Amino acid sequence: MPLVLEAAGLTKQFRRGVLAVDQVDLHVAEGEVCGLLGPNGAGKTTLLRMVLGLVRPTAGGAVVLGTPVRPGYDALRDVGTLVEEPAFVPYLSGRRNLRLWWEAAGARWEDAHVDEALEVAGLGTAVDRRVRTYSHGMRQRLGLARALLGRPRLLVLDEPTNGLDPGEMREIRNLVVRLRERGVTVLLSSHLLAEVEQVCGHVVVLDHGRVVADSPVAEVLAASGSAYIEVDDRDAATRALATLDGVTDVVFEGDGLAVRLHEVARSDVVAALVAAGIRVETVTARHRLEDAFLELVRADP
Amino acid sequence: MIRAVVRTELAKQLRRPRTWVALGLVVAVPLIIAIALRTNPPRQPEDGRDFFFVAGHSGLFVPVAALLATSHFLLIVVVSLFAGDAIAGEAAWGNLRYLLVRPVPRGRLLAGKLAVVAVFSIVATMLITLTALSAGGLLLGFKVPFVERLAGVSGTGDAIWRLVQATGYVAWSMSSMIAFGFMVSTMTDAVTGAVGAGVGLGVVAQILDAIPALGHLRGGLPTHHLEAWTHLFAPDGSRGDIVRGLILPVPYVAVFLGVAWWWFRRKDVLS
Repeated sequence: MPLVLEAAGLTKQFRRGVLAVDQVDLHVAEGEVCGLLGPNGAGKTTLLRMVLGLVRPTAGGAVVLGTPVRPGYDALRDVGTLVEEPAFVPYLSGRRNLRLWWEAAGARWEDAHVDEALEVAGLGTAVDRRVRTYSHGMRQRLGLARALLGRPRLLVLDEPTNGLDPGEMREIRNLVVRLRERGVTVLLSSHLLAEVEQVCGHVVVLDHGRVVADSPVAEVLAASGSAYIEVDDRDAATRALATLDGVTDVVFEGDGLAVRLHEVARSDVVAALVAAGIRVETVTARHRLEDAFLELVRADP
Repeated sequence: MIRAVVRTELAKQLRRPRTWVALGLVVAVPLIIAIALRTNPPRQPEDGRDFFFVAGHSGLFVPVAALLATSHFLLIVVVSLFAGDAIAGEAAWGNLRYLLVRPVPRGRLLAGKLAVVAVFSIVATMLITLTALSAGGLLLGFKVPFVERLAGVSGTGDAIWRLVQATGYVAWSMSSMIAFGFMVSTMTDAVTGAVGAGVGLGVVAQILDAIPALGHLRGGLPTHHLEAWTHLFAPDGSRGDIVRGLILPVPYVAVFLGVAWWWFRRKDVLS
């Protein structure tokens, strides 16, 4: 698979001394949805801004769609972006905003995929209202429409579901899936693990500006997990689990136990509990990526 | 391709309510001056500034009075508003990053924005003259008074030609403040800071200019020759410091725009 984005040794040290991004290598293959995961302040946005030519790297470089990244590099024409908050000229209508933005680069409005993009935005007649009157969700959708006007080959989405309600979040996840089916490459940053788990095939975990994991989501998940178990005697179960290899943490949660596992199957845990004479009522797999993520981020000083 | 930036920026500015408020100000003040001159004409020439007295007798000279009255502060505020907002305004909205990834090359964006700032600054200055001239002509007529006192003004057409030159001079004398506001605009996301920078330069320069102890240094202040254009209407036909006044902004503009260019092309866009 050809690479749509390739970054090597990207580093950004701001003048006030903060090392925001530290020697990051990033490879995004054509047609994949790559998730960029990390706690707030991990350097996700700075990394994306470097990829887009908005922030100059202190060291290292990147190539996007075959073009070396410089401020305003030409290949950005084929890149759709949503960086942090969607932002517009507040006193212009949604449609006018898209049009003036599109035409600022000298392109003809007739060449923009307006209907397609507006369908995604789903703003109806509100698209002719001033953006000032929009809700956050509407701005976000208009921002996505702007990103899609040029039928981009690469879509860079920075926290695209930030501040949206669950319905809107699902819409955006579905949209990403549809775009992937159309062959669009997506680089999506998020601190929402479920989101990344659902739409991304490949995940890069960033912490303190460094890559702490870079692998298919399935692999990250395989490395760890946790379970929620309901038993008749929680104290006895806790004692039984404490002796079991691979159980790293047991805490009371609700009516049951949250058990953190490392390289041990849930079925083995259940077998051990039953062997200790404890009745197991339910076993549920937990947000596995979250555990993997917290483990990765915690392991890094 | 810079035309695309200029065109879209013009479209943006023309749809902006604030643009019309700013232009409304430079229309309102000459109107008030014309009405005041008509209803309450100055009786005697005031010391050193008899243009208001002359303007009270002919609409042709109301623009002179209006340019004198506005160029020291109001016009500086209005052009600084345009210049200071140019880049900082986009940054404050967060729209700057989206323009840059469109992509609009940074140099082109800067040049296009500057061209639109220049257009609106020139339009603002012209509106002062045009409003004063039309209101003055309507209320006071177009006769040429006191020809003996206004050497060289041979008739209505000649007076209007001199007004055109005076307007051009006043617009150009704003350029140091415009360039400074524009430069700061590339460096901050705070529109008020950038606008204040342009206004501040104009105000501080005039305050320093009023301190005789500064001697010859005052000649280099960007506002020092702000009134040199009045020699276009000088009784003795002398041209005073007009040429010096035309050259004065050149180094300021060159340095401020040079820094703006250098800075903006390297800037990390974090807004």
